Amino acid sequence: MSFNPFTLEGRRVLVTGASSGIGRQIAIHCAKMGATVVLTGRNAARLEETRSQLADAEHLVIVADLVEPDAIEQVAGLAGPVDGVVHVAGIAKLVPFRMISPKHLDEVLGVNLRAPLLLTRALLARRAIQPGGSIVFIGSVASEIGPVATAAYAASKAGLLGAVRALAQEVAKQRIRANVVAPGYVRTPLVEELGTAGGKMNELFDLAPLGLGEPEDVANAVGFLLSEASRWMTRTLFVVDGGFTVRLSV
Amino acid sequence: MHPYALQGKTILVTGASSGLGRQIAISCSRMGARLVVTGRDGTRLADTVAALTGDAHRSHVADLTVASEREALVDEAAQVDGVVHAAGVQRLAPAKLMSERILRSVLEINLVAPMMLTQRLLHQNAVATGGSIIFLSSTAAMSGTPGLSPYSASKAALHGFMRSLAVEVAKRRMRVNCIVPSAVETPMWDPGHLEAQRARHPLGLGTPDDIANAAIFLLSDASRWITGTELVMDGGIVLVS
Repeated sequence: MSFNPFTLEGRRVLVTGASSGIGRQIAIHCAKMGATVVLTGRNAARLEETRSQLADAEHLVIVADLVEPDAIEQVAGLAGPVDGVVHVAGIAKLVPFRMISPKHLDEVLGVNLRAPLLLTRALLARRAIQPGGSIVFIGSVASEIGPVATAAYAASKAGLLGAVRALAQEVAKQRIRANVVAPGYVRTPLVEELGTAGGKMNELFDLAPLGLGEPEDVANAVGFLLSEASRWMTRTLFVVDGGFTVRLSV
Repeated sequence: MHPYALQGKTILVTGASSGLGRQIAISCSRMGARLVVTGRDGTRLADTVAALTGDAHRSHVADLTVASEREALVDEAAQVDGVVHAAGVQRLAPAKLMSERILRSVLEINLVAPMMLTQRLLHQNAVATGGSIIFLSSTAAMSGTPGLSPYSASKAALHGFMRSLAVEVAKRRMRVNCIVPSAVETPMWDPGHLEAQRARHPLGLGTPDDIANAAIFLLSDASRWITGTELVMDGGIVLVS
């Protein structure tokens, strides 16, 4: 079928956190829809594993820890020019509020908020995001529901939305778009780790009317936001959560 | 086949004789869906059918504010995988001058008709397991828009219905969502209103194609885990003085 507004043919998409979970699936999805993918992450072996799952094309792997300023410059320099950026790299740790320390806040906010904003800045400074490009930040419904012991994580994800509201206005002239996708609980290594760290995850999964999500479910929504089909969407919070937040007034 | 395809799906679109409903029907047909289109105007509905890609589409003229006509549509539709409630009206009515007649007419068309059509479809088991129900709302449901209070109230009420329904039908893996556009160039809006809106939209005004693409996404299996969501599509609307 020739009519397909969701195609990513001829586009180049940078995906951070591409070594596992949602990031890996987004890379696979983008390649399947025709894009060339620039994969970045900290773990070289797992990044290569993602790379090996992509359909043939000139995909590029850059091993980098985006907390390091040099690494941000390196990725921004090698990746561009891109038509899409998907900020997936993130960490989550269960820490009760009265235990949060400067170190914990710096770590979570550094990876989840500071790095994606500075990487975006570095790309924009190089004009490495093409006119008509799409920037997607992976947020979380945690910013809306604030689960117990996730203050830093929820704050980092809420911070992304505030930044996107401003960023999207500033780049609209070049028809660049910026949106946040907020997933609910998805079957990923990150969520599995929270389970083994003592989180009562199964009870949480059951709270979503459609249960636990799969990485594909998030990748399909991100694919929509990267494509021309969502040409008129910017500055939005797009909740993809199996109905988790329907019963809350968020 | 990619996850956004609609091959093998039957989609019911109301308000298909013009504007967003018409474009949604056309775009869904181009993605491989079989359509059941409905509207009040037989001639314009026939124009929509003529514009559809593929065959085996059906059309049914109906005024959805009339219970017997809703019933006849449900019989005609038989079994669908998706429903797009696009029929709607907008009446300029500053609150001080609003008549009960105008308020009731807007609520009948924009709220009662889609709610009761959905009720009949569910009662007749006419929506397949895993099916997707979409209500065409408006940013007027969530933001103050002077002179549009009956319209805004009707759309905000749809969101309330959408959320309850999303929880009720999740057992059958059915999904219910709103598409929430701001100003799209359609015959429903007067040109003066659209011109005033243009300045507020960093990405300009929307086109029916944009809304149709959002509908395709929410009808397709790509969105099988999305329910109870308001998909806002508004060109990044901002406040301007």
